[in-house]
Amino acid sequence: MALSLTVNGDRRASAADPVTPLVDILREEFHLTGTKPVCREGFCGACMVLVDDRPTPSCLMPAALAEGSDIRTVEGLGTGDALTAIQVALETCDAVQCGMCFPGMVVTLTHLLATSPEATRDDIRAALSGNICRCTGYERIVDATLSALAVK
Amino acid sequence: MSEISATMDFRRRDARDKLRGRTRYTMDRYLPGMLHAAVLRANVASGRIVRLDTSRAARMRGVRAIVTAADAPGKIGIGIADHPLFARDVIRYDGEPLAAIAADTLAQAQAALATIDVEIAPLPAVLTMAESLAPAAPLVHPDWRDYEVLFEGGARSGNVAWEATVVRGDVDAAFARSDVEIVESSFRVGRQNHVAFEPRAVVASYEDGRFHIETSTQVPWTIRNATARILGVPPSQVRVTVPPVGGAFGLKFDLAIEPFAALLARASGQPVRLVNSREEEMLTCLFRENAEIRIRSAVTRDGEIVGREAVVLMDCGAYGGEQIFLTTMTAHTLGGNYRLGSTRLVSRAVYTNTAPNGAFRCCNGVYCTFALERHTDEIAARIGMDPLAFRRRNVLGDGDLGATGQVFEGNVLAPMLDRMDTLREAAAPSRTLADGRLFGRATTVGTWFVFVGPSAATVNMNADGTVTLVTSGVEIGSGSMMQSLPQIVAGTLGLKPDDVVVRAADTDAAGYDVGVGGGRTTVSLGAASLSAAQEVRTKLLKVASEMIEAAPEDLVMRQGRIEIAGAPGSGRTIADVATRAQAQLGPVSGTGAFTGAGVPAMPGCVAGHFIDAIDIPVFAVHDCDVAVDPETGHVEVLNYRVVQDVGRALNPRAIHGQIQGGVVQGLGYALHEEVTIDTHGRVRQNGFETYRLPLALDVVPVEISLYEGAPSVGPLGTKGAGEVPILNVGATIACAVANATGKRVQELPLTPPRVLELLLDRKGELSLSHIAEAWVDNLVRPHGTAAQNRK
Amino acid sequence: MTAGTLAQGEATGTFYIASSLAAALDALNDYGPEGAAFAGGTWIMRAPIRHQPLKTRHVAIGKIPELTEIRIGTDAIEIGAAVTHAALASALADLPDFAVLTAAAGRSANPAIRSLATIGGNLATSDFSAADCVPALLCLDAQIEVSSRSGRERMSLEAFLTQRSTLAPGRLLTKIVVQRSRHKTAHARLPLRKAGDYPVAIVSLSFDVDTANYVRAARIAIGSVETVARRWDRLEAALLDRPLAPARAADVAAELAGEFVGRESVEVPPWYRVSVLPRLVRRATAAALGA
Ligand SMILES: Cc1cc2nc3c(=O)[nH]c(=O)nc-3n(C[C@H](O)[C@H](O)[C@H](O)COP(=O)(O)OP(=O)(O)OC[C@H]3O[C@@H](n4cnc5c(N)ncnc54)[C@H](O)[C@@H]3O)c2cc1C
Ligand code: FES
Ligand code: FES
Repeated sequence: MALSLTVNGDRRASAADPVTPLVDILREEFHLTGTKPVCREGFCGACMVLVDDRPTPSCLMPAALAEGSDIRTVEGLGTGDALTAIQVALETCDAVQCGMCFPGMVVTLTHLLATSPEATRDDIRAALSGNICRCTGYERIVDATLSALAVK
Repeated sequence: MSEISATMDFRRRDARDKLRGRTRYTMDRYLPGMLHAAVLRANVASGRIVRLDTSRAARMRGVRAIVTAADAPGKIGIGIADHPLFARDVIRYDGEPLAAIAADTLAQAQAALATIDVEIAPLPAVLTMAESLAPAAPLVHPDWRDYEVLFEGGARSGNVAWEATVVRGDVDAAFARSDVEIVESSFRVGRQNHVAFEPRAVVASYEDGRFHIETSTQVPWTIRNATARILGVPPSQVRVTVPPVGGAFGLKFDLAIEPFAALLARASGQPVRLVNSREEEMLTCLFRENAEIRIRSAVTRDGEIVGREAVVLMDCGAYGGEQIFLTTMTAHTLGGNYRLGSTRLVSRAVYTNTAPNGAFRCCNGVYCTFALERHTDEIAARIGMDPLAFRRRNVLGDGDLGATGQVFEGNVLAPMLDRMDTLREAAAPSRTLADGRLFGRATTVGTWFVFVGPSAATVNMNADGTVTLVTSGVEIGSGSMMQSLPQIVAGTLGLKPDDVVVRAADTDAAGYDVGVGGGRTTVSLGAASLSAAQEVRTKLLKVASEMIEAAPEDLVMRQGRIEIAGAPGSGRTIADVATRAQAQLGPVSGTGAFTGAGVPAMPGCVAGHFIDAIDIPVFAVHDCDVAVDPETGHVEVLNYRVVQDVGRALNPRAIHGQIQGGVVQGLGYALHEEVTIDTHGRVRQNGFETYRLPLALDVVPVEISLYEGAPSVGPLGTKGAGEVPILNVGATIACAVANATGKRVQELPLTPPRVLELLLDRKGELSLSHIAEAWVDNLVRPHGTAAQNRK
Repeated sequence: MTAGTLAQGEATGTFYIASSLAAALDALNDYGPEGAAFAGGTWIMRAPIRHQPLKTRHVAIGKIPELTEIRIGTDAIEIGAAVTHAALASALADLPDFAVLTAAAGRSANPAIRSLATIGGNLATSDFSAADCVPALLCLDAQIEVSSRSGRERMSLEAFLTQRSTLAPGRLLTKIVVQRSRHKTAHARLPLRKAGDYPVAIVSLSFDVDTANYVRAARIAIGSVETVARRWDRLEAALLDRPLAPARAADVAAELAGEFVGRESVEVPPWYRVSVLPRLVRRATAAALGA
């Protein structure tokens, strides 16, 4: 039986095994390669997507469990060519290096911006404890988040 | 040229797509008809292959090609060709490739792997350098004598893959002086995994008799040449292109999995993608090597270092690889920083039956700086001198000799130490902590270099006023290709950096390049790009001078125009001039090439070295405050400060980003990231649960001061800035923890158990009994005069 | 199959999303040893990294209303087995007697994992020694409800821990019941980094302290040190009927800690887990007194 998934507003079908991690279907079948499988064990956050607005590591989510939910990947965040507030802030702060962690960072921080308008530096760092970056040393990501919060 | 316009803080052109998940790294590439590959790896550290039968696998569903050792005749290496693609008859490490399969899906490829019938007869293994150097130890390469030597000069013997030595002056005499204290220290460090977020990945295809390899690498030309060598085909049959690279840090400075995909593509006639699993990356990445160091110094009571000797053992794993080259670096890292009356150093790359090691940001510099700086603190304590005063007295300055006898230019480290004083005082740390934790602080110095070497660049002037920069440079995340290079070209031609189109690396399009790493992008590729841009400039000015009727010397290029100096708005747009030039003479382009000039060393000082002296030294001064929990051994970094010698900062904001990132990687090395090898020879940390990278809560904002003005042959006076930030982090944390605890810190990383062990005196002093007491007894090939070596 | 969605892929894996408890129990019963409950999946989905085969038939229990409820009564609270760590931490945030559980559920792992991983999964995973909620619930003297098609039974958490690895197919942990009290409770965990790690040692404690600060009842549980979390009876006894002070508690813990033998692991040597116990006892005691 085919799986039916709603990804970035589109309904899509997949014939994959139901316990296939969502990340693999997004990437290999739907070619939404913004979502990165880096650790496949819930520690790095590079595979983070929003499932019904909640940041969820897609390496740990079986595709069957995502049926009926609104799945939003990093590709589905802005509208058209426009960047979202957090993307603008990260670009302005020159935060990006290799970029592999950023799709997941953007997903987690999108949620933070929406739910924790009062977040402090330490709150932001704590919110990122499941999003690892190997390149940047985090500070600019935190700075950018604070500046995005200030704009809001 | 307008120098000012080359300095700017501007954003990266690749950021937007990276933030939107649109960037396609190699692991994201997908070609029509593409197959998926997987590699069968040995699960013993040492053994003889009795049987390897792939016939069942070949009949499995979806399988399109299987390749084994028979398909890859060549061997590669640095210095010596000791490394085949697949284990041939003999297995030398757990994880060594045995066969590779391409199938319609990855699951099919993996299922087929499981049906390959392998029988391996285990052989005795040497898993540590102590075992490897023991008398009568089994040889990792019994046929080492027969290997092709690719670079002459290294001494080799049995499990010693390569030995490099430095002897300058009469060390024995220095140690025999009656007015010196002899200080001896021993150190040991573990491996470090790069954990580049994009694992090693490749998509290969085979068309019209040539391989096209798209790969996640820092070294497209090495991939081209080494793949050809392994496969036994002419290098011209291999084309390498490189999409954006998702992190590298030295991991991707060597050939990796490219030949598997190439062979499978040729065998199947279809494109093949191969991406390492995270576990493969964790177990077989080309780690920063584990090392063991003994260092001894003869120092006068007033703090003059009259003699220094050291033995450095570097574990290269089962194959020589990068460590062969890195034996060279000891002279400039452990032998760096300070003025030495006389010195002798030996560094040995040692084979073990473990996964091969490789290059990692500042390579051997990181642990040699740790050893040197801890040793320096031990010397200062012994002679009762303030450690900072001792450093100030001894740091290399203008006209001083390095270990190999090269003459250093300019006073750099001393004013950098002064600069650090101001940074530190502004911060005014408290020395006692209210919560009972132990406070410690330290300042260290470090010496690294820019790995210059051949680079080529072409700049094509387009009639629309933009230019295309064609090089074999790769954007690995550091921003050099997105920021420095366009800045240099734009600055030369009076364009905006955005008007410089940067061509992604393609060995069919651009000339030879050593690779992106060793801090060399801005320097070598930058210099080649600068001279290519200058050629374009000269041509354009000539055409413009006819159009504007002014002498070329009177013209300037700025803001997209060629104008008469001092008369803004005069002249013509660059596009106009380029269009005219194209119509009159044909399209305008320029080419540039660069390679390091080579700095002289003292004759006879070095043996087995790949370079005798360093073209561009880079210095760093780091300082930190830590708090140590006496009951759990947790080390918290309270403040971290860096004064870094950058020559000239083209894009200060980008350099700051590199420093923050590099320091945090260093904090991982110093405090969290540990690799251990089990009794069967397998790395125990197979994922992110056990290999602990620093997280957002574990880091501090680094206070940074860029030190400009030190001499450099780099373009516009630049030096590489991206590699060096990690250099003395391990050293600084170690010295600060020693300062806080009063204990002799001899090992990294300083994980909570290791620190608690120190505090509780649970473990005795580190003893390295496989390092012979007399320096000369550690050599397979004597170096120096009889008097010096006392043999 | 009574209700729910069945998905079946080419590799013959079955993933059944149960919409009622009865349906889940039926399915588990039918699948027998092939089947397993799938709660948050944060353990199950990592099977490939542990080189363990996945079960072929999973019954997802996260959408069963009964299992995702938290009932806070005046005498007791009842926690459905499929309640996530995040939901639990926020529901209990204002109840001082459950500070230990709030901390256990609210500080483990990382935020995204906390909103997937369930308390039932945390208790039921027998290979997992570092579970935060196990010692927290031990010190709260929690009762466990286990259901199967043939009915429900209650048992102590201790009893559940000894049975869990051999729980017969078709049986499901459905509920956790904890009595309310005036106890002061706290959870001290020691990750190697500041956060985001498994704890290398956990001290969860619950004290009934009288107005003169004498300990009238004490329950202390130690997690992650040995393979399975357990109560520290001797420390409890030694603190009883004496004034409660963090420093003294730590001293006594240091004297008694020798009874623990740390488990082997990649992260830390066995002795380390035991060594840090006094510190954690002090930290937890101070936190409990502060609460
Ligand atoms: C990155 C990361 C960090 C983590 N850090 C921590 C930490 O710091 N502290 C901590 O405690 N845990 C931590 N966890 C661990 C852990 O995975 C979960 O907390 C928990 O053990 C699993 O819960 P789950 O709901 O995801 O279980 P699942 O993965 O769904 O199931 C786990 C096992 O329990 C069984 N099971 C689940 N529910 C029931 C039930 N109701 N009845 C019977 N059997 C059942 C399943 O069949 C399976 O065998 C971490 C996990 C990750 C991925
Ligand atoms: S890949 Fe999913 S958390 Fe790392
Ligand atoms: S930018 Fe490379 S991992 Fe974050």
